Amino acid sequence: MFLAAFTSPAHREVSADATLMRGLLHNDVGAFERLYDRHSRLVYSVVLRVLQQAGTAEEVVQDVFLQLWRNAAQYDESRGPFVPWLLTLARNKALDTLRRKSERQRRREDQAEELPAVTIAAPQYEKALDEKRAAVKVRALMDSLVPQQKKAIELAYFEGLSHSEIAEALKEPLGTVKSWIRNGLLRLKEELQATA
Amino acid sequence: MSTCQQFREWVEPYALGALDAAERAALDSHLAAGCQDCAKAVEEARWVVSQLAHMAPEAAPSGMLKERLLQTVRAEAKAAESTAQAPTGTPWWMWGAIAALLFFAVMTERGTLQLRKELRQAEYQAASYQKEIQDVEAKLELAKRENVILTDSASVKIKLAEAGPEQPRVDAIWHAKLGIVLTAENIPAPAGGRVFQLWLIPKDPNGKPVPSGVVRPDEDGKFALLVANPPGDMAETSSLAITEEPAGGSLQPTSPVKWVGATR
Repeated sequence: MFLAAFTSPAHREVSADATLMRGLLHNDVGAFERLYDRHSRLVYSVVLRVLQQAGTAEEVVQDVFLQLWRNAAQYDESRGPFVPWLLTLARNKALDTLRRKSERQRRREDQAEELPAVTIAAPQYEKALDEKRAAVKVRALMDSLVPQQKKAIELAYFEGLSHSEIAEALKEPLGTVKSWIRNGLLRLKEELQATA
Repeated sequence: MSTCQQFREWVEPYALGALDAAERAALDSHLAAGCQDCAKAVEEARWVVSQLAHMAPEAAPSGMLKERLLQTVRAEAKAAESTAQAPTGTPWWMWGAIAALLFFAVMTERGTLQLRKELRQAEYQAASYQKEIQDVEAKLELAKRENVILTDSASVKIKLAEAGPEQPRVDAIWHAKLGIVLTAENIPAPAGGRVFQLWLIPKDPNGKPVPSGVVRPDEDGKFALLVANPPGDMAETSSLAITEEPAGGSLQPTSPVKWVGATR
């Protein structure tokens, strides 16, 4: 059963990123620099894709990494692996900025300074799935979807739209949009497991 | 279809944030009621959703972003270190010593004289600690100001020099209310005791360069200068310039401009 392939977060071994995050608790600037070097490109890529504007994207990436630095104690490694958590933080911040911009609100106003307290369960095969292979697989899968299905998932992930908003934007029935998104994510889960 | 089965169909869009408000609220309530199986399914779906980040076309942030971040975290680390090391007040043992000295003072005249001497020393020591605390607090205040200037969206970035690797890089970040932070690297030290001086060049064609702070690069060719109260307004300044000047700086430039950058 697929669900059985997921590890219990409590038993996961300490990752290099978790060790670097501990360094931040001791004001270790070197640990911060290594974390930045390891992940800034992917974080920036996601944020830029959401915001479509390099200057604003850099401001958000700056906020993300400064939040890591200042609130490292809030990161709880028992709640899941670092990279998915970091990407969740970056995407949430980028979408918040996008919404604030669209609502013409000032940046930084009522911006949550707390790090997300979500729990993320990585599958056991995550260790066998390096970032490059995952990237290739995700892109290949997305390219294999019908264009409207791919668009629906992109609108949800990069623009934060809901099922109804996507159905309206694509002028497709709501039920169709729901199926596209769920089936697309289930296929992605299977493909990533098969790749690992 | 059981309730849980129905919710399972919502788990992936929930993790993606695509559920409409009513569905999201229903699943939130279900999770809050303590359904461990659905909670686990959500946690797993979050991992799958996080992989969608790879759909984004690859891009890299500018080198300036890393520099800005490192400057900020270095300043904060330094301030935190200073705060941790600073004494927080007169040590308890000193009060103990003062009490003991008082006791002996009332015992003998000689003791009194000695006590006065010791008291003066203790007071001097206490004043010295107080001064140290004030210095640390002042440094912390400057570090905080520098940090806000570097990170506030209202700040204006001014590039004075940026070339390839190993070439001088000079940047200024100007916040209209908090001041200017000038940073540089790969800067050869000026000869003797000479310094680099920052100038505000007015927009008024008849205006003269306004002298500002001076600085010398460290042995690694880097410097950072905080001008907390710039001698001019950003709105009336066309550019920032740097010249080499004698130690202590000059009232007007005495050498050609080395680096310059427009404020807008």
